[in-house]
Amino acid sequence: MRRETERDAGCEMRDGALPFPTRLARVVRRIIGAPDYDAYLEHCRAAGHAPQFTEWQYVEQFFEAKGKGVRCC
Amino acid sequence: MQPLASVLLWSGISILGAAAFAVLALSRGETVNAAWLLTAAVCTYAVGYRFYSKFLATRVFGLDDRRATPAERFNNGRDFVPTNKWVLYGHHFAAIAGAGPLVGPVLAAQFGFLPGTLWLVIGVVLGGAVQDFTILVCSLRRDGKSLGQMAKEEINKTAGITGMLAVLFIMVILLAVLALIVVNALRDSPWGLFTIACTIPIALLMGWWMKVWRPGRVGEASAVGAVLLVGALVAGGWVSSEPAVAAWFRHSGLNITWMMIAYGFIASVLPVWMLLCPRDYLSTFLKISTVLVLGVAILVILPPLRMPALTSFASLGEGPVFAGKLFPFAFITIACGAISGFHSLVASGTTPKMIQREGDARVIGYGGMLMESFVGVMAMIAACTLDPGVYFAMNTTPAALAQASTVLNQAGFVVTPETMQALAAQMGEHTLIARTGGAPSLAVGMAQIFAGASSAFGGRTLDALWYHFAIMFEALFILTTIDTGTRVGRFMLQEIAGHVWPRFAETSWYPGVIASSAAVVAAWGYFLYQGVVDPLGGINSLWPLFGISNQLLAAVALCVGTTILIKMGRARFAWVTTAPLAWIVTVTMTAGWQKVFSADPRLGFLAHAASLAGSANPDAVRLIFNDRLNTFVALLFMTVVTVLILTSVREWWLVLSRRKTAIVHEAPYVETGYATGD
Repeated sequence: MRRETERDAGCEMRDGALPFPTRLARVVRRIIGAPDYDAYLEHCRAAGHAPQFTEWQYVEQFFEAKGKGVRCC
Repeated sequence: MQPLASVLLWSGISILGAAAFAVLALSRGETVNAAWLLTAAVCTYAVGYRFYSKFLATRVFGLDDRRATPAERFNNGRDFVPTNKWVLYGHHFAAIAGAGPLVGPVLAAQFGFLPGTLWLVIGVVLGGAVQDFTILVCSLRRDGKSLGQMAKEEINKTAGITGMLAVLFIMVILLAVLALIVVNALRDSPWGLFTIACTIPIALLMGWWMKVWRPGRVGEASAVGAVLLVGALVAGGWVSSEPAVAAWFRHSGLNITWMMIAYGFIASVLPVWMLLCPRDYLSTFLKISTVLVLGVAILVILPPLRMPALTSFASLGEGPVFAGKLFPFAFITIACGAISGFHSLVASGTTPKMIQREGDARVIGYGGMLMESFVGVMAMIAACTLDPGVYFAMNTTPAALAQASTVLNQAGFVVTPETMQALAAQMGEHTLIARTGGAPSLAVGMAQIFAGASSAFGGRTLDALWYHFAIMFEALFILTTIDTGTRVGRFMLQEIAGHVWPRFAETSWYPGVIASSAAVVAAWGYFLYQGVVDPLGGINSLWPLFGISNQLLAAVALCVGTTILIKMGRARFAWVTTAPLAWIVTVTMTAGWQKVFSADPRLGFLAHAASLAGSANPDAVRLIFNDRLNTFVALLFMTVVTVLILTSVREWWLVLSRRKTAIVHEAPYVETGYATGD
């Protein structure tokens, strides 16, 4: 059964339509594990629900989660 | 690609790799260029990735791009996020690569460049990358569950608790040994200490920037941090050249030990955004960029390897860097880069929650580990480009150097005090003698490679600046590991104590936070202290303990992987995990046994304690206590893992003999909504 997903809603196309510096910044954020509130808002739009967090709350939760992860030796 | 062209291409790569290995193995007495080492490594990785990882992905695990991953099913735009495989590759690599693949090969270089390189290259293809890939796939099929949860569900509750204890123990030893590396690199080094001290206010500023002033603007904060970091590095040179100012930053190892302990405690108690996150971002940028630059610099100058392929310490077992013969100690000295149990925590952490398609696990899990092994090979090259006399003078305490002087003289590994003094002056240091721990010798090797590359492009060599850059690079991500490790250890301790007193498990209850942080810091701080005051330099006892604990965690991960394969009905392929498991257990148990029971006082903890009994040494009582403590820790590691292996073998027997129904705790199959390309 096919389900409605972010990609079906055109997420990849939106990424592709972004200016190069914005796309690059998004890639770097993902690699270093940095918060990306714009991507979160896009996700909420694609999923069809309102954002659950303000930017401040989102960043705070993101950093808290990061503090529970491990870095290897 | 056409079949014939593919056959010709891969035959060519295989022949080239074999030829490079032949050159490395057959060279005796003459200098070998690092190009051969790089060629052997890259060809082996290519063949391993192309054929073995494909076999694992298709035949063993049966990866299916039509099956929805946790990132797709639970996509919440935060921790479960479908991510492009190359972006996630970078993310995963940044999480698994730390000081281990840099320091381990440097220490193992005392056996010559060949044993360590062979272990790095072969070990990763057949062991380390298999472990990472297996655990990643297992977690991916279980909604991103952790190693401990999988051990509990797939084996039994005892295995889950054993795995959790193993992680806590390894964390304590890991943090102690990493802190020891930093202490040895910064003692009596005003330039180094000033630069590293500056990273604390820089990180605080970055934290304030990206949390309070410009929420989430990590890029801006990191750019400011990087500029300030370079400023601190350059200013360190000035600090070092002004005697009155330098005196403020020149400290003994013991003083820096107390600073590290205080730092670890404060970093664990402070909110993550203040120190941990900004430092993590800085170190990630620095790690990725420096590894890339080092790779390019090595390719530009292709330095000759001055260390022989094999030294006499491989068979004598009296190496001044650490005691013990090539077997088993080369295989526990190099853990990260060949096989590292710690990776299983990352492979069952954030990465499986971000994988877009099952097939991507191959490049991320297997390929990511190959890249870490390549970092280890570069570290081996950096260490082996040093004059062997310089290498041993830097990595050996005066006491150990005196004991090994006959062998060193016979091998021609001698260096004059004047040469060492000139090298120290060139690197902007007071002295480089007895800078044990691997980091300073790696920094000298890297500085010489960077300086060679910059002069090849017509620039100034700037050896001292490069040396301190390399020290800062290593210390920065070691401190990040100390921040995160202490905090994770604190969470685990709070969880355990929470079973007795539920309030203790609340991570926001400050008395619990402070008490558990203090307990974790005291645990690793004690091992750090004993390493710093150890007359043999600490690395001799602590690094093998770290290697043993890390490899035993790998045994835990491979046991979990094997159990899952058997339960999946793939017992005929269980050799992919049981073969590295058998090797790791053999190596680690042998090393553990020798560290405890060897009759050689330089090697065996109990023999060392016995040699001190009744001596006039004023520290004898403390040293004997430390030896007995190390004995206890080594035996504890071995017992914990023996319990887990026996529990696993029992489970395998019950399932294979059909006395127990195999229940696989995989998430149900859901078809992906993404285009699969078929």
